[in-house]
Amino acid sequence: MSWRRYGASAEETQAAGEAFAFVLRPGDIVLLSGPLGAGKTTFTQGVGRGLGVRERVTSPTFTMVRQHECVNDLGIMTLHHADVYRVGSLGEVDDLALGELVEESGVALVEWGDIAPSVFGLDVITVVFVIDEHDGRTLEVDGALSGREAALDAWAQS
Amino acid sequence: MALVLGIETSCDETAAAVVDDEFRVHSSVVESSIDLHRAFGGVVPELAGRAHVATIGPVVRRALDDAGLDPSSPAISGVAVTSGPGLIGSLLVGLSSAKALAYAWDVPFIGVNHLEGHLFAPLLEARDLQWPLMTLLVSGGHSLIVLQPGPGQHDVLGETIDDAAGEAYDKVARWLGLGYPGGPEIDRLAKEGSPEAMKLPVSMIGDDFDLSFSGLKTAVVRATEAHREIALADVAASFQAALSEQLLRKLRHALERYDVAGVALAGGVAANSALRAGVTQLAKEFGLVVHLPTMAMCTDNAAMIAAAGLHRLATSGPSPLDLSARPNWQLADVS
Repeated sequence: MSWRRYGASAEETQAAGEAFAFVLRPGDIVLLSGPLGAGKTTFTQGVGRGLGVRERVTSPTFTMVRQHECVNDLGIMTLHHADVYRVGSLGEVDDLALGELVEESGVALVEWGDIAPSVFGLDVITVVFVIDEHDGRTLEVDGALSGREAALDAWAQS
Repeated sequence: MALVLGIETSCDETAAAVVDDEFRVHSSVVESSIDLHRAFGGVVPELAGRAHVATIGPVVRRALDDAGLDPSSPAISGVAVTSGPGLIGSLLVGLSSAKALAYAWDVPFIGVNHLEGHLFAPLLEARDLQWPLMTLLVSGGHSLIVLQPGPGQHDVLGETIDDAAGEAYDKVARWLGLGYPGGPEIDRLAKEGSPEAMKLPVSMIGDDFDLSFSGLKTAVVRATEAHREIALADVAASFQAALSEQLLRKLRHALERYDVAGVALAGGVAANSALRAGVTQLAKEFGLVVHLPTMAMCTDNAAMIAAAGLHRLATSGPSPLDLSARPNWQLADVS
């Protein structure tokens, strides 16, 4: 089962991220995929807002991964924001140890995560960004989400 | 005369330099692994780390040789090294080497913030720098407008809320198939194109000093997708004009708000011809002394790290030998 939500602008993509934060649980790994400029960082900025990140969430491209402290009632204390576009090998994605990091009350959002799915296994959430001819974005959410159907229905309909 | 050895390995350059306490550069060696990364359209962290391991020893030795020092026991007063921000695997190579050398030679060890290093680059080239100084620091990983009341003092007035300016150059260049790094390629092509060929948004019109380049990047991608007939040179010229306009508008806004004596450019994007011309024009208009770094001082080097290290050693003393690398160390957190 998958859920879709449409965003007509960068603001709406960010709002979709902010609302999506309340679907998340500690330990989640979310792989974001879509072409350059699809809104992966913008979405993550929204998730950061929803998770109560006080500092600015900026592009993780330069350092590959950034950690942000969160303040919320969801039990999520750290947002790990990664960009694996330029990794040289799957081993290098493995070295980031995101799977272990999220065990410590964290969640990970991985930009271009679709290029290294085998590292993360099947137990992940995927968000695919599709751009239409009006420059709007359809966000399609799928993956390890059983038990959260009601929250996702609400997310898709808002 | 106190000499400090500087080491820099935060990204894709392995560098070492010897600088004295009057900021004279005795040697500066930079070994770039950019060719390694070109095939991937950007710095590949694992390759960068390995390249640093292979080159750090010879680079340090050459810097000491060039400065006329005995590499086995050089007459230096400290070892300064970038401890952040940067790629963790790359930072650790320089940090571990610097600690080992400082320990072996029994001299102070100083961890330096890479961005503060960039702010010290002008001091190595212009002894007549006027303070307070307004600096636009733009590179592949960072974009900030910084007010400096004096050397080593910095107020971050604004910074990017999404991509860095150099990152936008790299991503747009990759999209256009122009290779890496994107800045020089786009700058060169832009000279043959028309900056008015495409209508692109100039982001961040607001009253603050923050910057944003993600929307511009996306606009270029979408427009070139829809209109494949636009000449590459025109795309490059239009993109470069829109990016410079945002930077210059924010810099102008900062110069109107704060009373300064000089204005400086720093970081890799400071090599950009449109930006250099714009900042020169702006300084003239405001009657300010302008400092544009030479190409070697725009990009990452260890002389600027040694200079910042000299300042930190004098003002805050040495760092502990158990200092950790800080991949996301903000300039605003340096004190």
